[in-house]
Amino acid sequence: MDIKKWLLAGVFSLFAVAAAAQEMREVKIDEVEVNARRKLSEVGVTRTSLDSAVLRDNVTSSMADLLAQNTTIFIKSYGRGSMASASFRGTAPSHTQVLWNGMKLNSPMLGMVDFSMIPSYFIDGVDICPGASSVNVSGGGLGGAIALSTRPPEEPGWGLRFIQGYGSFDTWDEFLRVDYAGERFQSTTRFSYTVSENDFPYIDYQDPTLEGTYPRKRNRNGRYRDLHAMQEIYWQTRKGDRFGAAVWFVSSKRGIPMLNIDQRESGRARNEQTESTLRAVASWNRVRSNAKFGAKAGWIYTNSIYTFEGDNGNEALMEMQHAQSIVKSGFAEADASWFPNEKWMIEGSLSAQLHSAYNRERYTKTHYDKMRAELSLLAQAKYRPWERLGIGADVRWESYGRHVCAPVPAGFVEVILWPRYNLLLKASVTRNLRFPTLNDLYFQPGGNPDLKSEKGYTWDGGIEWSVRKRWFDFSADFTAYNSHIRDWILWLPTARGFWTPVNVNKVHSYGVELRGKLALRFGKGWTLDLNANWSWTPSINYGDKKSWSDESIGKQLPYIPRYSSNVVGRLGWRGFSFVYKYVYYSERFTTTSNDTDVITRLGSYYMSDIILEKLFRFGFGDLSVKFCVYNLYDEAYVSVLSRPMPGRNYGVALSIAPRWGSKNHRSE
Amino acid sequence: MSGKWLNVLAVVVWATILTACMDYGPIERESISSSGRGLFIVCEGNFMYGNASLSYYDIDSMKVQNTVFARVNGKRLGDVAQSMAVRDGRGYIVVNNSGVIYVIDPETFEWIGEIKGLLSPRYIHFLDDRKAYVTDLYSPYISVIDPLEMRITKRIPVGFADKTQPSTEQMVQWDKYVFTNCWSYDDKILIIDTERDTLDGYIEVGMQPTSIVIDCNEKIWVVTDGGYENSPMGQEPGALYRIDPATRRIEQTFPFAFGESGSELCTNGRRDTIFFIQKHVWSMNVNATEFPQQPFLENDTKNYWYGLAVDPKTSEVYLADAIDYTQSGVIYRYSPKGVLLDRFEVGIIPGAFCFTEGDGH
Repeated sequence: MDIKKWLLAGVFSLFAVAAAAQEMREVKIDEVEVNARRKLSEVGVTRTSLDSAVLRDNVTSSMADLLAQNTTIFIKSYGRGSMASASFRGTAPSHTQVLWNGMKLNSPMLGMVDFSMIPSYFIDGVDICPGASSVNVSGGGLGGAIALSTRPPEEPGWGLRFIQGYGSFDTWDEFLRVDYAGERFQSTTRFSYTVSENDFPYIDYQDPTLEGTYPRKRNRNGRYRDLHAMQEIYWQTRKGDRFGAAVWFVSSKRGIPMLNIDQRESGRARNEQTESTLRAVASWNRVRSNAKFGAKAGWIYTNSIYTFEGDNGNEALMEMQHAQSIVKSGFAEADASWFPNEKWMIEGSLSAQLHSAYNRERYTKTHYDKMRAELSLLAQAKYRPWERLGIGADVRWESYGRHVCAPVPAGFVEVILWPRYNLLLKASVTRNLRFPTLNDLYFQPGGNPDLKSEKGYTWDGGIEWSVRKRWFDFSADFTAYNSHIRDWILWLPTARGFWTPVNVNKVHSYGVELRGKLALRFGKGWTLDLNANWSWTPSINYGDKKSWSDESIGKQLPYIPRYSSNVVGRLGWRGFSFVYKYVYYSERFTTTSNDTDVITRLGSYYMSDIILEKLFRFGFGDLSVKFCVYNLYDEAYVSVLSRPMPGRNYGVALSIAPRWGSKNHRSE
Repeated sequence: MSGKWLNVLAVVVWATILTACMDYGPIERESISSSGRGLFIVCEGNFMYGNASLSYYDIDSMKVQNTVFARVNGKRLGDVAQSMAVRDGRGYIVVNNSGVIYVIDPETFEWIGEIKGLLSPRYIHFLDDRKAYVTDLYSPYISVIDPLEMRITKRIPVGFADKTQPSTEQMVQWDKYVFTNCWSYDDKILIIDTERDTLDGYIEVGMQPTSIVIDCNEKIWVVTDGGYENSPMGQEPGALYRIDPATRRIEQTFPFAFGESGSELCTNGRRDTIFFIQKHVWSMNVNATEFPQQPFLENDTKNYWYGLAVDPKTSEVYLADAIDYTQSGVIYRYSPKGVLLDRFEVGIIPGAFCFTEGDGH
């Protein structure tokens, strides 16, 4: 039924949009803007950029919510205030490479990024680069890469914005941003502080009492406190040099909520994770008429501690597990681009990372302490022999420790079919790899120093088009992809009771992604923006059977939905805006054999949120009031097995942006 | 159809989808019952997934019913079901990471009650109708419970001032003493005086004793995994130990090759033969003085076998294969001669077995 519904919806929506466009074309054809020429660096590349309007709408959300609601990336969220990982096209979270201002954020120990720890308020640009398009962004993106960036303020003078939020479950959010933009110097200071008891109530339908009633429980041990502070400075010289520096400090303390089937008393067992992270990156860029040069250097320090405290039988809690990880990473990169003429672009970059990782469990005394250097060299060329044809090639060489990996090639092509409607065909192909993380190799117990890199081969092809008129803006794209990953690293138990990673799985993922954006500007101040994504994501294990009873071959990978979609609609009128957000995932299996019994299958996921906002403009500045309803239909659900989620809940946010002098911004 | 009507239709279709409900709610309850002799298979499930389950296998009819606890009671069993014991018409399922022991009727699988207040329970050992011990992975105590009242009555401290916290595991009884192996980063067999409910001493064996049994000669057998490479304890060959509980001394040691580990020690009904997993399944007469030359069952798969049990009545052998640990496991049933009799699927990570005679015992 799900598929039929979605097909129907898709077909009707396309017809509706096409009909609307047709009607407009009949009367407004002279207003079509031609904008077929793309940047040479974008030739054949599939890149989705979240625009500033999307980021503005989500300033009080985490990056996990932003991606789930606006892209085809699958976010696996362990609950409110808990870890959220991102997967492209049916791959693993460690196959998603994440960069911040050009510096890789993936933990060298775990290989992945927790997107619940990245507030949208701290990000000004998000570029999503799936498959081969990730090769010129980062190595190791078997699924893809997400490039997060901050940018200097554009409006001259001082700017300030403060947001105070309050939400259900005693949740307080404070956001502050102070900008200064001069002719050559810009500065941005950001601060956010979030604290929540996160003790939401829920009905536990799968843990009835002896009397057969369904108890109303509360989320236990879910309290969290996140502090973020960031300082950026930018300086441009008269000669065209641009310098930038950003420092981002994170301090987090999060309870790990108890599972809903945990029968221990509240407060008698407690898991907690604390993290302190400092990230710093400095950059230099020089732009010339036919060349660009740049260099970056960065540093990341992370100290995270996981503790488990339990009842010692005498009322007091006793610490029983204490695992500490300290990671220090240094980073340096240099890049250069050359545009010998309008048809050619040649680019190269060299980056190096040095990681130091220390991990120790206080009571078992297991530990490891390792250093690893990683090098990455990229060369790329883009060529547009004719106005309507562009081709490109990338080659990336990587090494880690003493291992030199095979070159990673990528090829790109695009053909502009109909410039008037920016209709273009594009395709890309790559053979990529991802080397093992430090935990994969050295974690005690279980690390496997003999692991090989995961290898992937992927191609994608698609079509995109856009129509822009004075009051109508429509763009859409369709992409099909096919990917094979072998030597997929999987942690499996050993005879000694611990788990160890091995290169076992072969995975074939393929599918289709559809994206559409529509912006309508009606008369009398009415506006309507729609952003929709739909994807079909089979991700099939076709590795060797572990034993002759193995039922996992030919089955969908656990937790990867076959279908997913999201829609965000925004209706605006004279300072009012009404936003509807909708996210859908089809059923997910939690076993490799895709069992459908009552305790292992997760049913389809439908989530709706609404936001009503009013902007008031005063002489002294702008004031906006936002009211949000999350889980509009008060669904009882789990997104990950045994992790309860909150029912309908609310949030209000008050935003103040004073206006100084002639400055008139931050009023969006 | 005009664009206007298509727009209306699209809105209607979208509205239908946007108001769809999630498929999550009560587990439909069923009536399932057992008859005759049976075997409970305790399926751990994955740590922090909460997908543990209980399977029931009718030994005579060779039929299996999976997820019986959830299907009968409309309730999830919990996170990491570790072990089960049946006594006096009640089944006690120890659910480690849910901190609970569920008490069920072993014939109808109906949930009767629960024992809470436990931290990380592992195994239950009955001393009499009103007293049982429960071991724990993290707690510095062994809990004493009243099975009828389903409550904790006492806690026995088992920690040593200058040692790391012992993780107590399986239990066997000799005379008035209970012997329990401390597996996790430890090398001891603790001895508990059941009359005084106190720690009475310990015996040091090899690194990480994984399981313990007592034979017909009143000798205790322990198998160790020997630790692992780079372990803070070090690594040594795993071994099989025979201990005299009266003298509290190791009588004989059967060392494995370096890197080989042993687990899942159990006995047949007469307790004159021990069985264990050391890559293959081995059987050995309790009076043997040398390690057997050939395994009872050879493992020619890439997998490590996860569970083992021997029918106390028929001496048939049940072997658990967890496959990739994230799918339904498989149980193989062999005759005492090692001939495959049956194969059936159960829940995720089948780790422990519990025989029931069909008369409540």
